Formats: sequence, C-alpha cells, structure tokens
Amino acid sequence: MHILQLAIPPDFPLPIPGNLSLLEFLIVLTFILHIVFVNFTLSFATGAVALEGAGIVKKSKRLDDMARICSFHASIHKSIAVVLGVAPLLIISVIYTQYFYTSTLLIGKAWLSIIILLITAFLLLYLYKFSWEKWENKKGLHFFVGLVASVILLFIPLIFIVNIVSMLYPEKWASANGFFHSLIHYPQIWQRYAHFILASLAAGGFYMYFYFAWKQKKQPLSDVEQSLKMGGVKVTFWITLLQLLFGSLLLISFRRDIMLLFMGDDLLLTVLLLVSILLTIILCGLLYIVTKKDTPNVFYASVICFVLIVALMGWMRHEVRESYLQSYMDEHPRTLDVQKENVQPIK
Amino acid sequence: MDFPIVEFPWFGNGNIVALIAIIHVLISHGVAIGATAIVVSTEYYAMQTKNAKLDQLAKQLTKWIVIITTTVGAMTGVGIWLSTMVIQPDSIGSLLRIFFWAWVTEWVIFIGEVVLLLIYYYTWEKWKEGKEKQKHLNIGIALVVFSWLTMAIITGILAAKLTPGRWVETLSFWNAFFNPTYLPSLAFRTFLAVTLTISLFTIFVRIFVKDEDVRLSLFRIFSVWGAISLPATFIFGLWYLKSIPEQAAKLIVWSTGLPEQTFNVLNFIAFGLIVVFLSWLVIRPKKLPVVLALGMFISAIGFIGEFEVVRESIRKPYIIYNYMYVNGITAAKAEAMNRDGYLAHSTIAKVKTITEENKIEAGREIYEGQCLACHTIDGWRSKRALANRLQGWPQKSIESFIPTMHQVRPMMPPFVGTKEEVEALAAYLYKVVNEQN
Repeated sequence: MHILQLAIPPDFPLPIPGNLSLLEFLIVLTFILHIVFVNFTLSFATGAVALEGAGIVKKSKRLDDMARICSFHASIHKSIAVVLGVAPLLIISVIYTQYFYTSTLLIGKAWLSIIILLITAFLLLYLYKFSWEKWENKKGLHFFVGLVASVILLFIPLIFIVNIVSMLYPEKWASANGFFHSLIHYPQIWQRYAHFILASLAAGGFYMYFYFAWKQKKQPLSDVEQSLKMGGVKVTFWITLLQLLFGSLLLISFRRDIMLLFMGDDLLLTVLLLVSILLTIILCGLLYIVTKKDTPNVFYASVICFVLIVALMGWMRHEVRESYLQSYMDEHPRTLDVQKENVQPIK
Repeated sequence: MDFPIVEFPWFGNGNIVALIAIIHVLISHGVAIGATAIVVSTEYYAMQTKNAKLDQLAKQLTKWIVIITTTVGAMTGVGIWLSTMVIQPDSIGSLLRIFFWAWVTEWVIFIGEVVLLLIYYYTWEKWKEGKEKQKHLNIGIALVVFSWLTMAIITGILAAKLTPGRWVETLSFWNAFFNPTYLPSLAFRTFLAVTLTISLFTIFVRIFVKDEDVRLSLFRIFSVWGAISLPATFIFGLWYLKSIPEQAAKLIVWSTGLPEQTFNVLNFIAFGLIVVFLSWLVIRPKKLPVVLALGMFISAIGFIGEFEVVRESIRKPYIIYNYMYVNGITAAKAEAMNRDGYLAHSTIAKVKTITEENKIEAGREIYEGQCLACHTIDGWRSKRALANRLQGWPQKSIESFIPTMHQVRPMMPPFVGTKEEVEALAAYLYKVVNEQN
C-alpha cells in the first residue's frame, strides 16, 4: 500500500550516462548560468514596462529612453536564457527521472503551455523593441504590448516552481489535482516565487551597474545611461536587503528536519548559509558605498560578492533537493549500471 | 504505465508532438540552416559586387532569421522535448540515457549558434568596411557551420529511432549514433534545408522587395543554390529511402492515410511544381508569378508535414526500433507483464487485481497505458478513433481480436497482459464505443 500511494516508478533499465557527482556539479553550474539570464530577462522586461509607464504618466522622455535601453537588453538575454536552460533540464531529466517525470506529468498541460506562452512573450518582446519609434504616437498600445509580455514572463516561473517543488513531495502526489491546485497544495511554492522574483530584480539592477561601469571605462556615459547605472545600484541595494527577510521565510517553509540541517544539524549546509548571509550583508555595504563614491575597487569587490552569493544559492538549492529526496532514493535506487537482462532486443 | 497519463481526447496525443515537430523542422531546416547559408552567400556576393542594396537586403533577412529562430524556432525545438516528456516519457527518457552526451555537445554548439547569430545581426552596421567587413562575413560562415553541426548531431539521434542497428545488441553509444540511416538522412536533410529555404522565402521576396534589381540579384543566388540543392535532395532522398528497413518502407503510403494512387499523383505533382518553379526562377526571374511562388510555399509546408508524419509513423509498432514499442513497452516489460499482469507492473495503476466491480476501471487504465499513444475514443482523426473503428463490434469480437491484432495489423504492438486484462479492456472499449455511437 505504501508504494502504491507514493507511486514512485522504478528507474529505467538503461544506466545514468556518466559519473553522478560530475552530473550534479554540472546541473548546479548550468542552472545558475540559466537562471541568471532568466533573471536579467524578467527584470529588464518588467523594468522597461515600469519605466515606460512612469514616463507616460510623468511625460518624461528621459524615463522613456531608460525603458528603451532595458527592452533592448531584455530581448537579447531572453535568447541566451532559453538556450542555457536546455542543459539543466537535460540533466534533471536524466538523474532525477523517477521524480521529475512524474511531477511534470502531473501538470502536463500547464507544462506544454510553456511553449505557447514563451513564443507569445518573445514575439511580443520583439514587437515591443522594434516598434518603439514607429508607435511613438500609440504609446498606450506600445505599453500594453510590453505589459502582456511581462505578465506572461512573470507567470511562467510558477509552472517551473510547481514542477520542481512537487518532485520533492512524492507523498503529496496522490492528492494533487493539476497545476492550479498544486499552487496551494505544496508548501514553499510562493516563498520560492517571491525569493526568485526579488532575485531577478536585484540581478537586473546589478547587471545595469556592471554593464555601464564596464562601458564607462571606454567612453563617458550619457545622462540616461548614468541614471540606469545608479538606479540599478539602488534597486539592487534595497532588494538585497529585502532578500534577507524573504530568504528566511523560504527557509522556515522547509520541512522541519531539513530546515534544521541549515541550522546546525549539518555543518557544511550551516556554513554555506552563514557565509551567504554574510556575503549578502557585505554586498549591501558595498552597494551603499557605490551610491556615495563609485571607485573601481568597490566595483570589483561587489562583482566578486555577487558571483559568490549566486554560486552559494545554487549549491544550497541543490542540497535542499538532495536532502528531500534522500530517503526516497534509498528505497527506489537509480540505475547506475546497465541491467542487461532488462535491456533486450524485441525480435 | 509508470508515469501519470495526460490525455488529449480530441486532438490525439501523438498529434501534439507531430504538430510541434513539423513547425520546428520548417524553421530549423528552412530558416536556421538553409536561410543562413543563403544570407551569408548573399552578403559575400554583395561584397564582391559592391552592391550596398543587396547587402542591406541580406541584413533585413537576417533580422527575420533572428526573430523567427529565437522565438518559434527555439521554443518548438525545446517544445518537442517538453511534449515528448508528457506524451512519451519512456521513449524520450530512454533516448536521453543513450544519447546524453550527444545532446550536451549539441547544446554547446547551439549556444555558439545563437551567440554567433546575435553577433552577426547586431554588428552588421558596426563592421562595415574592409577588414571589418571580412570579419563580419567570417562570423556568418562560422554561423552556417554551427547551425549545420547542430543538425548533424540531432540527426544521429533521430535516425537511431528507426534504425538503431547494432546498438540493440552492443548498447554502444557509437553504434547507436552512427546507425545505418545516419549518413543518408543527414545528406538528405542538408540539401532539403536549402531547397526548403528557397521554397519558403521566394514569395516574401517577390512581394516585399520592391527594388527589382536587388530582387533579381537575390533570385540569381536562389537559382544557383537551387540548381545544386534540388538534384542533391532528390538523389540523397532516394539513398535514404533505400536504407530504411523493408517493413518500414511498406508503411510509407499507409502512413499518409492516402490511397496509393492519390499519394503517387500528389507527390509527382509536387515534384513537377518545384522543377517548374526553379526553372522559372532561372529563366525568367523577372516575371515569376506570385501564384507560383505561393503554390511553392504551401506545397513546401505540405511536404515537410508529410515527411515528418511518415518518418514518425513508419517506425510502428516501435518507437525505438527493435527495443521499445510505441506505447513504451520493452521486451523485458512485456515478459513480466504477460506473466504477472500489465496492471501489476504499472506503477500508477489503481486497480491491481481485477474484479467484476472494477473491470471497467481496469480496462480504462489498460487503454490509457497501451492504446492512448496512437488512438482516441472519438478524436478528429477518424481512422484512429475507436468509436469509429470498433463501431458495431460485439464485446466478444473485440476480446478475441485484441490478442491477435499485431498479426493482422503489423503496425500495432502486441497486447501485453493476462486473459482477465484482455477481458477488462474489451469490456471498457465496448462500453465507451457504444456510449459514443
């Protein structure tokens, strides 16, 4: 009865093609690369729409120019984000097949809708970018196109989050009923969503600071570019402060024994968490200094801090999954060597 | 049946994957591979002849390549994968285990392709003169090579589904990748891509490029490419056709759902059309009729649709030839399921032991696991709708047909399970068919 209720399928008889530790390292690395570009895309698309909207209300050309730069960056980064997403999806399919396939099929139709949603959002982003001048006198329509694209982009992460959270809870599969029900059925979903959206805004702000600080070395920045650079720093500073709160909310939404792993029960995980909090505080300090006095040293230090925080977050995220699945994986082992008797030709 | 079932009762599960795949092949071959080759050669020709207008046209075409490939192209590519996960998890899951590193390699090249494409388009105005222009062209050439390489890798995986060759015995990755139809299908696809680009793009060039001189220059480039690609597509297509298994070749006409004569006539007309079209492009490019270009555009889409449907269907009853049936059942599973029961070995089945009370429910679960991959109860494709196929059949006839169907209809996999399970399936089918009719 126990197994029937959990419905964790046996692994395929064909073996996992490669060293497990190597694949785990690669999934963390490639996921970080992917998600950072997703962060940029989301933040520039929503940022462009917000700035354009503010520009319309305040009748400000300057805000409109800032919005336009954001939209340009959004449409480039979205191409990279999609491409980079292939690798982590490939690896998660291969090393967590029994959990990930089931959680995907439980929300099968929502999962398929990603294709239509992303195509629509991406086409709208191009229309938004390429029609900026042409539709100068149809500002409302232009703003609406960007808004629809942004809303779609803000919705899609929910599908992915439901999927990867649901794979951690095989005991809840039997009582789940499709995508929308899953949004409230599984714990952590909204905490993860909030943490992710805020991370996107912070990453986007940081990118603006990074990009224009780099550009500044070659040529002086225009007024608008300078505003984006300093605006980026401010956004990142405030959002990162907020993340200390939202990160904690996510931590306490974990199952108690897993939360406690990060609070002393496991030395490595506890150290990872403490270091990441410390680095976050340092980053906030550095960003604060930037708002007062921008120097190359502060710039490099903040870049290092940012990269380290992102890396630690990606690593901890993986450890959370491993901790949740550990007991199930012991009971339903993965195929690491070929089971010759189960891989027979059909004659 | 180890994973939850997602059902598309009207559209049909197999059609979901087919639809996405057809769109993807049109774009990956016709836009990403063929069109980049043509655009880069156009840039080269414009550079040689110092034709600034032609250069600008190449840039315009590239803008559309960027827009189409990074939206519909990329997302349908990922989409084939997302949809097969939902529709055929056993098959795509097994393919990932076999070809993981091929996919990783393809991914790395694909990143290169996208980055090169973005650089190629966005530096057009920046790298305009002399050495910089040459650098720009080189980026374009690298782009053509990268986009072809992604196809060269994916073709290995696709071809292996029809002809896994020695892999079924050795389980060697290399045997699976360099399988018997790999080279012929890669050669065919390479030239098909260029032919497809010409067929798809001509109508847009004819209508939207107003400057006649520039249009004729581009048509000249199309003609040169077409003179190479059309005969090559034909010759390599024949080679490909000769290399597929005999059993599969027999299913080609059947796969299209057309009577043999109609199939022959349609394909002959289509071939005639493209010969006329290309000849026209060579001989009288100035007077190319819009109707002809439009006809070519439509029949190219039709041909790709036919090619994809046939390629997927002639594998039947397999999804990975000689290893896995279209419903995800392998030899080892079939053996265990015939012994202990299909439901007993299905992780998600709620019914494990069949009784009079749960018979219909058990039948439904067996239907979902073994039939749904190709059939619907009452979907739009009437040939696959059981309400149509089993209309008027008594329950006993359904029951006696099921264990022998794979002999009568070789494109169907054998039923696996016990005698009680056959009865349950027959009882369920009889019930739903009569409710529909």
